[in-house]
Amino acid sequence: MLSNIKTVGRLWHKVLSRSLQTSSVLQHDSLFVHRDTPEDNPDVSFEFTPENEKRAEAILAIYPEGHKRAAMIPLLDLAQRQHGWLPISAMHKVADILELPRMRVYEVATFYTMFIRRPIGKYHLQVCTTTPCWLRGSDDILNTIKNKLGIEVGGTTPDCMFSLSEVECLGACVNAPMIQINDDYYEDLTCQDTEEILNELKCGNKPRAGPRNGRFAAEPLGEPTSLKSEPPGPGFGIRSDL
Amino acid sequence: MASVILRSRVLTPKYLKQCCAGISTSVSRYSDDVEVAVKQREAPLIRKELALLNSAELEQKRQHEEGTITVDRPSNVSVITGVPEEHIKSRRVRIFMPAKNAMQSGTDNTGQWEMEFETRERWENPLMGWSSTGDPLSNMQLQFSTKEDAIAFCEKNSWPWFVQEEPPKKEAKPKSYGVNFSWNKRTRVSTK
Amino acid sequence: MLRITAQKSLAGAKVSPKHLFPIFSRSSTDVAKKPEKIEVFIDDKPVLVEPGTTVLQAAALVGVEIPRFCYHERLAVAGNCRMCLVEVEKSPKPVAACAMPVMKGWRIKTDSEMTRKAREGVMEFLLVNHPLDCPICDQGGECDLQDQSMAFGSDRSRFTDIDFSGKRAVEDKDIGPLIKTIMTRCIHCTRCIRFASEVAGIDDLGTTGRGSDMQVGTYVEKFFLSELSGNVIDLCPVGALTSKPYSFTARPWETRKTDSIDVLDAVGSNIVVCTRTGDVLRILPRINEDINEEWLSDKSRFAYDGLKRQRLVTPMLRDACGELKPVDWEAALLGVGKVLKAAGGNITAVAGGLADAEALVALKDLVNKLGSEAVCIENSFPLDGSGTDLRSSYLLNNKIAPAEEADLVLLIGTNPRLEAPLLNSRIRKGYVHNETEIAVIGPKIDLRYDYIHLGEDPSIIRQIENGQHAFVKKLKSAKKPLVILGSDTLSRSDGAAILSSVQSLSRGLQDEMCDPEWKVLNILHKVANQVAALDIGYTPDLSKICESSPKVLYLLGADDCGITRADLPDGCFIVYQGHHGDQGASIADAVLPGIAYTEKQATYVNTEGRAQQTLVAVTPPGLAREDWKIIRALSEIVGAKLPYDSLEEIRYRLEEVAPHLTRYGCAEAANYFCEALELGKKTNAPIDTSPLDVKQKTLEDFYMTDVISRASPTMAKCVAAVQKQNLSKY
Repeated sequence: MLSNIKTVGRLWHKVLSRSLQTSSVLQHDSLFVHRDTPEDNPDVSFEFTPENEKRAEAILAIYPEGHKRAAMIPLLDLAQRQHGWLPISAMHKVADILELPRMRVYEVATFYTMFIRRPIGKYHLQVCTTTPCWLRGSDDILNTIKNKLGIEVGGTTPDCMFSLSEVECLGACVNAPMIQINDDYYEDLTCQDTEEILNELKCGNKPRAGPRNGRFAAEPLGEPTSLKSEPPGPGFGIRSDL
Repeated sequence: MASVILRSRVLTPKYLKQCCAGISTSVSRYSDDVEVAVKQREAPLIRKELALLNSAELEQKRQHEEGTITVDRPSNVSVITGVPEEHIKSRRVRIFMPAKNAMQSGTDNTGQWEMEFETRERWENPLMGWSSTGDPLSNMQLQFSTKEDAIAFCEKNSWPWFVQEEPPKKEAKPKSYGVNFSWNKRTRVSTK
Repeated sequence: MLRITAQKSLAGAKVSPKHLFPIFSRSSTDVAKKPEKIEVFIDDKPVLVEPGTTVLQAAALVGVEIPRFCYHERLAVAGNCRMCLVEVEKSPKPVAACAMPVMKGWRIKTDSEMTRKAREGVMEFLLVNHPLDCPICDQGGECDLQDQSMAFGSDRSRFTDIDFSGKRAVEDKDIGPLIKTIMTRCIHCTRCIRFASEVAGIDDLGTTGRGSDMQVGTYVEKFFLSELSGNVIDLCPVGALTSKPYSFTARPWETRKTDSIDVLDAVGSNIVVCTRTGDVLRILPRINEDINEEWLSDKSRFAYDGLKRQRLVTPMLRDACGELKPVDWEAALLGVGKVLKAAGGNITAVAGGLADAEALVALKDLVNKLGSEAVCIENSFPLDGSGTDLRSSYLLNNKIAPAEEADLVLLIGTNPRLEAPLLNSRIRKGYVHNETEIAVIGPKIDLRYDYIHLGEDPSIIRQIENGQHAFVKKLKSAKKPLVILGSDTLSRSDGAAILSSVQSLSRGLQDEMCDPEWKVLNILHKVANQVAALDIGYTPDLSKICESSPKVLYLLGADDCGITRADLPDGCFIVYQGHHGDQGASIADAVLPGIAYTEKQATYVNTEGRAQQTLVAVTPPGLAREDWKIIRALSEIVGAKLPYDSLEEIRYRLEEVAPHLTRYGCAEAANYFCEALELGKKTNAPIDTSPLDVKQKTLEDFYMTDVISRASPTMAKCVAAVQKQNLSKY
């Protein structure tokens, strides 16, 4: 009897849950429509600083007359570097400079993932988690950062200093694992290295970029392992009678 | 005699011969040659269903047996079709070429001529809410390969008609993907 | 490959690369220079095509229709849907037929194994992210995706959503009161984006994001407001953009389609009226290359709901208390007849822009029979010189279609974008494809293309006429100049002087033209049947009417003439005959309900002088009757019986008055340009200094201009949307 009630209950639950069920939504981590927020709305004024205005002029001068719109990506990048991220008013500013419909700028700004259209920390930590880095322990690096800063992937620390993202291969597999912080690559990391880097950044210093395990670049650690002998001279390996 | 006996497509001369012979009661039927039989002094062989016809009727009969009837004046079938007079005299037929549906890119069902009667009142059926009409011709859909065919059909049925000429066609200009990227033209598209 | 074709065509045509595009558009004029045709084989059928022709166009020549989604012959080639992939012999991969120009000797296989497989594959990819909501989709039944998946798609699906993660879903956009968006259905053909950018000239639509996150929209919250916006509904091959007013109303197979003519502007666009049970459910454009191509303005497309509101459905007479009381036809006609008889010829008739030619001629005949000559139209045009006697002074002489070939357009006191959106789209087409230059004398308005603003001062016209203005040089060097004069300008008090000035200016240019068919002088009207009224003999002198103190004023659909009771002598009896209870009916003593353009077979003449007829799509509401029949019935009561009883007979009378009025589809060209000019010169009036103005300046002014659109809730929503948009920061 009890089991009967249970069964009925379960069935009933099934019916209910069926009617309420929604499929999980496949969603990108950023929105491709604009929502006005206190930080990001057309009333927020954006102007290039005098230095950046000069830079913008220099960028525009590269492109021929009638094709100034080609300067869109450099200008957006300039705006992003100035503001830290790319607010909608910066896009409008670029559209005004290039005399383009605003939509054409929105299209470009949303296409490229390196244009960040929402507030982001001063340091953008991009941890590579693609196979080579992953095999070399990128998960540990990621966890170290998460624990150290108390943020999840996609999050920003409350002081707006750090933002964490997981990214695909950044092309430094030979120095795996690695993270990219703003424009710099920090490679051959251990968890300790990572903590050091974060500590230095917190103090306001700029840690030294590049490999952390004593390598200069992508050469083997320690001694060279191959091509150690003198390079053979001309005629090497050729038949003596020739 | 030869002018009286009608040729038929199915009858070969030999079979015809036997037929004639079958009808005849004279002895000459045993003769092998019809010409010989005719030359014999006997009454000519007359088909009794044709005997009383005049020449015009004979011609009609001949055509009928051949399977075609040619009428030299325009035929008018409206008197015998049973269409009520109200639906003949007070209707107006539009002969037209249907336009392509603007909602779709396909062009099926557009190359032919059609006819359509003028719109009469339609009302919502109180029983089901469906559309009702008192006009039986409103659902008639006929397609013609030429405008002339459609006109002839309307004439035959005594419907007043008018032709809505097809709108002018424009010669297609070659389209080019390249103009999207032309260096100094306004065709250079900003959307991509 | 594209470059080779281009060079080939250049070698044949001997022009600089700068003029590459115009070769194609002007190829008909210089036959001798035409490049040689090349032979290709479509499914083994040989066809000769011009170099540069795409595979898709070549196939169309032999009647093979290649399926497509993104390709549209009136938009730029995008080549992004890949549905038009076909096999070309010896090519390892299928080619996109819409973008690939044919090469000599190509053997194109449009029904081979490879082609069919390619289509099936494309179809499968499109359907992976397309919702299966056809049963609740408004496009169902007239959907390209639906049809093409039936014709070319696979008969089974490999889409098994084992994770139940769902299909891609996209947020719907709010782009205004006319277009409903269900963006999940979008297949990213970008037709709407290209239409907005190329034809409408409003770059508000675009794609945001990338890969499977790409979506079509406006990115910010912004309405897509254009006078041509409704066309994206037609263009959309799926149900992503559908008509908001028509949503969930009917299936295409339920509706009956009647070919007709639009009367809400003077262009005379060809339309299809879709009806069910006596209701107009929607209006679609019908292709006519000479007039509207396949576009339709928003007012023409969406104002149909005004046909059901504010209608006059019964005759009315004003009773002793001063209230309009419904009466039957007999009483109404007797009442009006009595007054008409008593007026003794002191009758004035005013015809509005929506009155059809049959009613116009019947009313004129009746008024003339009763002994009056006072029949006029609502707008006033100059009467000095030849006035409206010569058609060349009131027609868009060069027709609508050639406007795209012009290389210089001078707009004087007109806003073609709102007065005749489809003429404006032609000018814009020339601007985009022919590098047309446009100059404007008049207020600064938004035409959706760049123009040279010469100023608002009408004296500039004189300066150009006399050759004193800097712009003259440009005008003289133009091969195909076009001068378009707005009807607003002609209504000015110095209209005659401006007209004569423009006539002489155009004459000067016309004399230098090598092509006699090209007419420089053009007048653009705003209301549908202005040209027919002038052809029939209505005079444009409304102001004199009030001075003549008529005893009876007969308004035939005249709602915009601005006549009030105060302008008329006491005791003047006003008869209003029309289909909407608007300004005219409100001042009338007797109201005779006529019918609207969807309910009658009637003749309309557009601004280029092209006679076209509307057809009966639905039956008139209530006691409303065909306008000419009302006048015919009235004539019998007055005792001046008009000699026509049927449509054929009144059309015969129309033919007597002006034969071109019944030559449907043909535009009768005007003549006597020189004579009109000479007669005009005699007036020699000065031009005012007051700046030129147009009545419709912004999009807000576009939507509600006549009785039908004023009664339309959709049009009211559009006005509200424009006002809301104006407050928006985007």
